[in-house]
Amino acid sequence: MPLLKIDSLEIEVEKGTTVLQAAMVNGIEIPYYCYHPALEIVGSCRMCLVEVEGMPKLQVSCNTFVGEAPPERKIDGKYDMVVNTHNDLVIQERKNVLEFLLLNHPLDCPVCDQAGECYLQDYSFKFGNAHSRFDEDKRVRPNEYLGSQIVINHNRCILCSRCIRFTREISGTSELFVEARGNKSKIAALEDKPLDNLLAGNVADICPVGALLSTDYIHKNRIWNLKKQPSVCQDCSVGCNVDVFYQKDKILRLTPRENHDVNGYFMCDIGRYGFHRFEDLDRITTPMARSNGSFNAVSWDEAIRKTADKLGDEGAKIAGIVSPFHTNETNFMLGQIINGPTGTLPQMNDEEIIYQSGFRISNDRSPNRRGMSDVCPALLEDLVSEIENQDVRMIYVLDDGIDREIDDVWKKILAKMDFVVVQTYAMTTLAQSANIILPGPAPYEREGTITNDGGRVQWLRPSLPMKGESRADWEILMMVMKALDKDAQDFTDIGQVMKDMGEKFPAYDGLSFFRLGPHGMSLNGRANG
Amino acid sequence: MSTFEPVLTSNITKENSHTLDFYQSIGGYSAIKKVLSMSPLEVIDVVKASNLRGRGGAGFPTGLKWSFVPKDSEKPIYLINNADESEPGTFKDRLLMNKAPHQMLEGMIIASYAIGCHTSFIYIRGEFYREYMLLEKVVAEAYENNLLGDNILGSDYSLDVVIHRGAGAYICGEETGLIESLEGKRGWPRIKPPFPAIEGYLQCPTVVNNVETLSCLPHIITRGADWFQSIGPEKGPGPRLFCVSGRVKNPGVFEEPMGIDLKDLIFEKAGGITNDNKLKAVFPGGSSSAILTAAEAIDVKMDFEELAKKKTMLGSAGVIVMDETVDMVHACLNIARFYAHESCGQCTPCREGTTWLVKMLTRMVKGRGTLKDINMLFEITDNIGGLIDFSKGSYGKTICPFGEAVAWPIRSFVEKFKDEFIKYLPQEKVAA
Repeated sequence: MPLLKIDSLEIEVEKGTTVLQAAMVNGIEIPYYCYHPALEIVGSCRMCLVEVEGMPKLQVSCNTFVGEAPPERKIDGKYDMVVNTHNDLVIQERKNVLEFLLLNHPLDCPVCDQAGECYLQDYSFKFGNAHSRFDEDKRVRPNEYLGSQIVINHNRCILCSRCIRFTREISGTSELFVEARGNKSKIAALEDKPLDNLLAGNVADICPVGALLSTDYIHKNRIWNLKKQPSVCQDCSVGCNVDVFYQKDKILRLTPRENHDVNGYFMCDIGRYGFHRFEDLDRITTPMARSNGSFNAVSWDEAIRKTADKLGDEGAKIAGIVSPFHTNETNFMLGQIINGPTGTLPQMNDEEIIYQSGFRISNDRSPNRRGMSDVCPALLEDLVSEIENQDVRMIYVLDDGIDREIDDVWKKILAKMDFVVVQTYAMTTLAQSANIILPGPAPYEREGTITNDGGRVQWLRPSLPMKGESRADWEILMMVMKALDKDAQDFTDIGQVMKDMGEKFPAYDGLSFFRLGPHGMSLNGRANG
Repeated sequence: MSTFEPVLTSNITKENSHTLDFYQSIGGYSAIKKVLSMSPLEVIDVVKASNLRGRGGAGFPTGLKWSFVPKDSEKPIYLINNADESEPGTFKDRLLMNKAPHQMLEGMIIASYAIGCHTSFIYIRGEFYREYMLLEKVVAEAYENNLLGDNILGSDYSLDVVIHRGAGAYICGEETGLIESLEGKRGWPRIKPPFPAIEGYLQCPTVVNNVETLSCLPHIITRGADWFQSIGPEKGPGPRLFCVSGRVKNPGVFEEPMGIDLKDLIFEKAGGITNDNKLKAVFPGGSSSAILTAAEAIDVKMDFEELAKKKTMLGSAGVIVMDETVDMVHACLNIARFYAHESCGQCTPCREGTTWLVKMLTRMVKGRGTLKDINMLFEITDNIGGLIDFSKGSYGKTICPFGEAVAWPIRSFVEKFKDEFIKYLPQEKVAA
């Protein structure tokens, strides 16, 4: 392998590695704007210039590849390449490039949404000049909408072209281009082909400055006020890794989190803006019991007692409705309680979309069908016949919070039931037919594991506190379980549920949040019991 | 030197010099007959031995450029004839296309044969509509006479020529900008590596040669590398079309041997300075070359090496003459405007720096400059194009040489005519 010397560091690198990659991996910071690991290299921002010994000009490190030098051309007899990333020449050149980039920049950081996570700020702070030498008038342009949810502030744009390359190489939709030329250049979209594809939101993420903004987040908050929780998107079975940015009990935005086994660097707008669905929901935050056609709030003790009294009837068969929207642990726990047939609510399907780059939005818009099937293997397609056959009169439903119309099959099922328990966070039509409603957390309040359609178990972490008296889903089910059977196992935390689940389903054996870490764990090659 | 007979332009004054009949009557297309009996490698060797250097601006050895094309390429190989002549003060390719188009076409066939190309393009500047119409006829004529198409002159060799019109951007004369444009994309030069000889048009090996370069080829083949090598200086020989414009009595294209005295070009060939004014400064090789003062200009040969020693370049051999009546600050602003207008906008230093120069120079012309601005002009040009230091190459800072093309001339104006810039400053500021 070629021997590369960067500053004082000697490293062996794979042939064909770029100097920029080698530096990044080894903790040497080289600033850059136009480079993005998922996009074609253009080398136009000129920020990553470094000195390569033996070359007359400074080289862009993003496009300088380390190769094997023939013996007579090795430097100091051993190095295939010697690079200086912070000698006087390079330091001065960074100042020069930053000076150019800031000529027309409005320096409006106090009102810029990018402030705090802006590479123009960071690099100016680290590498730039403290003063401007520009005595001319700045070029000023109005903001424009590039699509219904993306606005561009041209004055802040540094024309790195990441957004353009994204639409050409990742989404394959090519809405964006550069209009005009030279200093008049600007990012534009045609009026009749705006930037409205389902990956559009990513351009705001990959914009290294405050030029491209999502209208969903614009002027909502300051980034330093927000907490960031790494988690997993729950809007389809791909399970894109995300960072949830929230303040107190409110989510402000979602951004994709890099995971090369799942989503790469990106996420779709369905998931990105999906959290809004839960904001104005009619939430259920206390346990409720129905009497005489209306619901009354009851205490947890009473709700659990009433539930256990009915479910515990001698010889009673209980049907269970597990859910691909719930965690593995929740589905597993329900599977342990019921003794009758198991089914699910009607599947939520939509269009499957696969982009040029391979980025996929699954037609299955539930996050955990694979995991649910793994831990509830006896799922029935035709639940209603089995309910008839076994003369089932009680049902425990893990509701997914989607307010469906009740179809004929479900009308039949419900008509048959003497007792219906619905564990939910929203007053859906289905919940309205319950005898007992047990309030659980909404999606961004949940914790547990979910398994994507590629068989990767991922850690779903809660971002928001649970509302009112609602409790974790596994905990509700444990209370019911304990009420039914005093000798049932006591779980003090979800980790114990995972352990028990692993004992019963070997594919999930040895699972822990620690082991899952930020990128999850593949089940492939693990035997299910 | 007085015995020099024009080579490329020997027949341009004759009637119908653009026709196939005429060209064949003076022995045209005999070079390809010879070439088709040679191996491609032999052709490359002849051109290498002739020491022909590119006539577009960079002066890269043509044979060497060809030899970079992989010999065992599984991809098609392309030759592009760069007819996007847009360098200010340069109008030689246009003349060759108008008056000796078959000479150029024969050169294309020779170059294509040498590199193993079967589809060749003429990328012609959009404004050259007349030339485009003419070339369409010329190419059709060549096809009709089996000089293009399948099995040229009964040989195994086939070649198609496609004419593509540019849309008028200066940057599309830069070879990778040209290739992007030819692919139907925006003319943004590509980062190198990969070089076009490895991955050019449609990611296939591509050679881009200038009209004049190609026009030299039939003569090199017919008369031999030694003959070509014997004309002018050893390191850059051959005939050269010098375009003399500006404040001269008789502007025009003059075919002279490489290495001619610039003084002779201006005062003999172009008839001297308009109104017998005093010479002030000269661009020796198009507006992208650093200017020479009168003292420098009368003492320099038009040769790659000689001009490099004077920290400028032969470039496109577009000689622009400025006399004592020329206001150097205005001229400098005019040049800066051109480059700001033509900057493609891809690289930061060029996109931002060119407009900064225009804004600053405009302010100076309006009498609102300061002494500080003069130093800033040096700094800005250095930051766009880098210092000119041929001992270490140059410190180019952008993807393509446009950065240097802006920086060098503008820097030279300020450096060599600083007094005139100072005269534009408000007097109280100079005193202070």
